[in-house]
Amino acid sequence: MRAKVGDRIVIKGHRVGEPDRDCLVLEVRGTDGGSPYLVRWGDSGHESLFFPGPDARIAPYEHATS
Amino acid sequence: MRVIDAVRRSGVAVEVDATVQQAAAVMEQSGVGCLAVLDGEQLAGIVTDRDLVRRAMARALAPDARVDGVMSSPVVTVEADADVAEAFTRFGESTVRRLAVVRDGRFVGVLALDDLLGGLAGALTALAHPVTAELASAHRESPLPATS
Repeated sequence: MRAKVGDRIVIKGHRVGEPDRDCLVLEVRGTDGGSPYLVRWGDSGHESLFFPGPDARIAPYEHATS
Repeated sequence: MRVIDAVRRSGVAVEVDATVQQAAAVMEQSGVGCLAVLDGEQLAGIVTDRDLVRRAMARALAPDARVDGVMSSPVVTVEADADVAEAFTRFGESTVRRLAVVRDGRFVGVLALDDLLGGLAGALTALAHPVTAELASAHRESPLPATS
């Protein structure tokens, strides 16, 4: 995965009924857009380092609607 | 198969000076039950949701207590590019259900025992197919070659 600051990463749920999760890339700590990424989870403001696995994908940027 | 190819979930990590409350919130938000705890780029420990219950909540630890006070360390690790058989050995030698996957000593992910078992179950089903197919069609045999 190659990400850039501002990308949204979606992690699919692993069990039936488990919701997808998403986080916002705040910093790219790896080289050439690689992991790890410093991310912020949802609207909580909680940050962590993220090492994407096969359950993660970069979601297209969603433009705000007026 | 390499260890990294058997990893099914993304890895999540916090710094050693994160609080237990922050660790719990990250677990809840990210949907994982296990966080790597990093000291800079070095893997310092692993903290699980069970650790938070047993070592923090059950002992009435303050929410702002540091996570490195409740993490498990040293960590059972496996190299990302090692054969997956190495992971089987690590699980066999320990009582952990998750291995920290490292490359050149740096954390890159988590391999859960459940993920390995799920993969093995699928492989065993495929491997058993000739036997189960034979049981389902017990009288299926190749015709004898025609003789003149």
